[in-house]
Amino acid sequence: MLEIEDITAGYSSSVPVLHGVSIAIGKGQFISVVGPNGAGKTTLFKAISGIIPLRSGRIRCDGQDISNLEPSRRPHLGIAHVPEGRQVFPSMTVLENLEMGAATEKGRRDWKDNLERIYTWFPVLKERASQHAGTLSGGQQQMLAIGRGLASSPKLLMLDEPSMGLAPSIADLVFDKMMEIRRDIGLSILLVEQRVAEALQFADRGYVLETGRIVLEGDGEALKADDRVRQAYLGM
Amino acid sequence: MSDFQILIESILQLLITGVLVGALYGMMCVGLAMIFGIMRVINFAQGDFMMLGMYATYFAFGAFGIQAFFGAELGAYVAVMAAGPAMFLFGWIIHRLMIRRVTGTRTAGMEADGHYAQLILTLGIALILQNGAMILFGADLVSVRTPLSSDAWVIELFGETSPILLFFNKSRVLTALFSAAAIIVLWILIQRSFLGKSLRAAADNAEAATYMGINVDKSHRIAFAIGTAVTAMAGGLLATSYPFSPFVGLEYVIIMYAGVVLGGIGSIIGAFWGGMLIGLIQQFSTLVLPTQLQNATIFVCFLLVVMLRPQGLFGRNVERT
Amino acid sequence: MAVLKSIRVFFALALAYMVLSLFVTNSYYQLILTLVLIWAIFGLSWNIFSGYTGLVSFGHAAFFGIGAFATVLAQTYWGLSPWLMFLASGVIGAAAGVLIGFPTFKLRGHYFALSMLAYPLALMYVFQWLGYPEVSIPRVNDNPAAYMQFSDGRVYTLIAMVFLCAVVVLSRAIEASRFGMALIAIKQNEAAAEAAGIDTLRWKLKAIALSGAIAAMAGSLYAVVILVITPQSVFGMLVSAQALTVTMFGGAGTLWGPIIGAGFLIPIAEILHAELGNFLPGIQGVVYGVAIVVLIMAAPEGMFWKIRDRLRSRKEAHSPAVVAEPAPVNVVSLPARESRPLNPEIVLDVRNMSKNFGGLKAVQNVSFQVNRGMILGIIGPNGAGKTTLFNLLNGFQLPSEGEVMVDGVNMARRKPHELCQAGVGRTFQIMRPFTRMSVRDNVKVGSYVAAKSEEEAEAIADDALRQVGLSHIAHMLAGGLSTKDLRLMELARALAGKPHILLLDETLAGLGKEEAVEVVAVIRRLSASGVTVVIIEHTMHAMVQLVDRFLVLDHGQVITEGLPQEVTRDSRVIEAYLGKKWVANA
Repeated sequence: MLEIEDITAGYSSSVPVLHGVSIAIGKGQFISVVGPNGAGKTTLFKAISGIIPLRSGRIRCDGQDISNLEPSRRPHLGIAHVPEGRQVFPSMTVLENLEMGAATEKGRRDWKDNLERIYTWFPVLKERASQHAGTLSGGQQQMLAIGRGLASSPKLLMLDEPSMGLAPSIADLVFDKMMEIRRDIGLSILLVEQRVAEALQFADRGYVLETGRIVLEGDGEALKADDRVRQAYLGM
Repeated sequence: MSDFQILIESILQLLITGVLVGALYGMMCVGLAMIFGIMRVINFAQGDFMMLGMYATYFAFGAFGIQAFFGAELGAYVAVMAAGPAMFLFGWIIHRLMIRRVTGTRTAGMEADGHYAQLILTLGIALILQNGAMILFGADLVSVRTPLSSDAWVIELFGETSPILLFFNKSRVLTALFSAAAIIVLWILIQRSFLGKSLRAAADNAEAATYMGINVDKSHRIAFAIGTAVTAMAGGLLATSYPFSPFVGLEYVIIMYAGVVLGGIGSIIGAFWGGMLIGLIQQFSTLVLPTQLQNATIFVCFLLVVMLRPQGLFGRNVERT
Repeated sequence: MAVLKSIRVFFALALAYMVLSLFVTNSYYQLILTLVLIWAIFGLSWNIFSGYTGLVSFGHAAFFGIGAFATVLAQTYWGLSPWLMFLASGVIGAAAGVLIGFPTFKLRGHYFALSMLAYPLALMYVFQWLGYPEVSIPRVNDNPAAYMQFSDGRVYTLIAMVFLCAVVVLSRAIEASRFGMALIAIKQNEAAAEAAGIDTLRWKLKAIALSGAIAAMAGSLYAVVILVITPQSVFGMLVSAQALTVTMFGGAGTLWGPIIGAGFLIPIAEILHAELGNFLPGIQGVVYGVAIVVLIMAAPEGMFWKIRDRLRSRKEAHSPAVVAEPAPVNVVSLPARESRPLNPEIVLDVRNMSKNFGGLKAVQNVSFQVNRGMILGIIGPNGAGKTTLFNLLNGFQLPSEGEVMVDGVNMARRKPHELCQAGVGRTFQIMRPFTRMSVRDNVKVGSYVAAKSEEEAEAIADDALRQVGLSHIAHMLAGGLSTKDLRLMELARALAGKPHILLLDETLAGLGKEEAVEVVAVIRRLSASGVTVVIIEHTMHAMVQLVDRFLVLDHGQVITEGLPQEVTRDSRVIEAYLGKKWVANA
């Protein structure tokens, strides 16, 4: 449902960060992107969300070319972006954060049902509905950020390093929840992760990004045992 | 009356005036807080928006017959409410044409993240407004005085032989009530409405807000327009008690910033209390200082807050992305 | 007198101006001619501070007004001649500059600007209260020249012109000296300036003192020329705005800016005021306002820069510069890193370094040693605390605990410029070069800490450029460089400080594979010449070619240290980068 075709993108007018990246995400698929720091994973997400412009290539969503679409319009097409570092709205309550997630047309229509489901998946959010998001723990904020993404009734959920800064047990919990949600509603997922094995194990397809290029791609299971992945991270 | 009674009377009177004036300052500050607090835009021209609001009220009152229709007393307040939407539109246009060029993502390449450019652009706008008003309206002092301006409710305390008298200037009381009402309406808007929440979200984290599908540029424009309208209406209210001229804005710019900074940047309610506190400080300073130095006192307060406790009373120490 | 030669154009114009003024007999136009010069001087004083450092001052009217009032009141009450007060104003202005600067420099960004606005306004109220709604210079009938009173307006034009010439020469001298370089460096990137050995507070105070002095002197002359002053007319916002507008219109950061701005805007405003002032009072303000708005929207850098950029790009379009080929780096066959014996001498000894931010332990108990001539790579996943560690080594952060022994001396709590002086150089991940200055001038900023004269600074800069291989583009403007060359320039700037320890912060970020290899070759050459290198990097494929040893951090702690071949196969390191489960599966 999302096709990233040979994109080149970067920040200022200097050297681009991404070079000729192509990724295909089918309906209901779980795609993982891994790679060392500075490889351009967050840049990829920002390019999909339209925060940074494309220098060449195209992005298609359900066949429609969205390469030049205004960033604030893209969530309305069903692309939900759960950013790196959670980035909840700290001065607003948990419930208000979720309400912001439901800013899309579809999100508003499905608000009641979505809220109920989010509370079922993440009971802690229900408990702390009127607590200020800035005072939540890292793991709780991550759940809130995911809940916020889900509140928009998305077709594609993009998660940028959800385990970052979380204790391993909490990160495991978050990951399990994600798989549960995927099973429940058949969502497409694009995941960027530091924990490579987890990212690749259940993925339909994995991509390894290094210095802005896809250096390796394949079936999740196959990549899981490939030493070239380690080399991409550690250089030798 | 004993000296003690006179002192008590002075203090209570100053307290009353301080609260009444403070409520109005609070409203002005809230207008600025919408702009500075939510968008982090330094608007030098805020005082001049207030000045325009005063003239808008003046003309609505007189020239457009509101006085004739609603009468001298009520008419002034109706005129203020008429000036509001006009100034909202004005703020909208200013943002669309000029302000947005120096805020948000366009500032990535600029020096000091565009703060430099914002300061200077709004300075230019301030100069044009002040001097343009001078050309259009002349330098004469005008006001929107009503019969209420020189009338007061009186309370007698500790009566019998020589009670102390406390005066509640009617115009000021109505102004304070109007301010309080406006603040409450605004508060409900910010806290409860979807628009208000999306403004707060955009202020917390503009990038994440975009990921939610919120058009941050448009949100900022609305915040700017609301801030302009609120400060302008506060000006209109001020005009019912004091005469004004095209250069009145400059005095109040520092008062407004002092109030917003004192209350804490990022807090709309804080700005109201900051303004209230400034009003009280201004009144009480007359106990020890001559009236001409009132404003100098406020400047000193501003400097003290900024240097000793920059986050103010209610400020959030949230680092923006 | 290279300084004087470089502004011959200005002296020619000045002469022409004076000749022109001889023909003007109307006293009002004579006044305008004088005022243009005075406002140009005021603009130059603003430029010396705000134009170069980038700290926008909205309060220069404070200095201007102090000079004006001091002159008028001193003559009124004590009979002091303006000739004397002119010089005295300079001293008072300098003192006021330091007094205002010291507390206000602690403030950042908009707080600084707003505070600067408050000072002249406060002074305005104070003077109004003191009972000076309007003061005028008393007429002196007996020997008026001794009191700077002349019947012929052209004399004032001459006095102002002499003053302007002096200030222009001063500005040029500053621009060409380390004073100017230090100020511009502060504007570009204050942190980098500190790291290059510049004591930023001291230079900022010097700049505001000088700026205040000149502004006060301009105010003093203004009072004499205009005869009557009010608090509004010398402390008012329009006055501060005038300094700013005139300079920004012409172009900040260059002495031509205020001159162009004043020459253009003042006559327009004054003539409009004279002709139309009666039925369009305030036309001056509108003119300045419109000038500012148009400027910011269309040419925020100012007329001078815009025209110069336009001319330069046209010149380059007509005659494409022939860029000399750099000395070729043998990219393909770079020999693999062989482990070489380490020099036994320890130059950097980090002991039990810890940094807590509230509850967060960013760096925990980190200890390591760096031998002379070694290349140590600090690696670790995101958030491991690498940059915090560098900031601790370099003086940008104070450690919660621990010591940093540089050649046996604990430098843990010293300021960055002191560390630079002690021989620790640093590059930054985010580079902010002076785009309008040449590569060589960019590098020269770093050489002042080691050089005692301009010539020495230039020689050191040239040497540093040679070491990194950028001599062929030393004269090119930094604005046109590729990322690789910018990184090399950063390196050269750090080298110009003659460090014996170099801290490199993500020097390879943003480079393609071939470019990274080139930069690696340069760093290896530097190491061979005796410099000790500590480098943070993510680009592992280049790092494994470069370093002698790795230090691996995760969650602020040292996981392991050792040779590249060992470290990259160490299961703890693999776990840190790829996760526990990956190691479990392997």
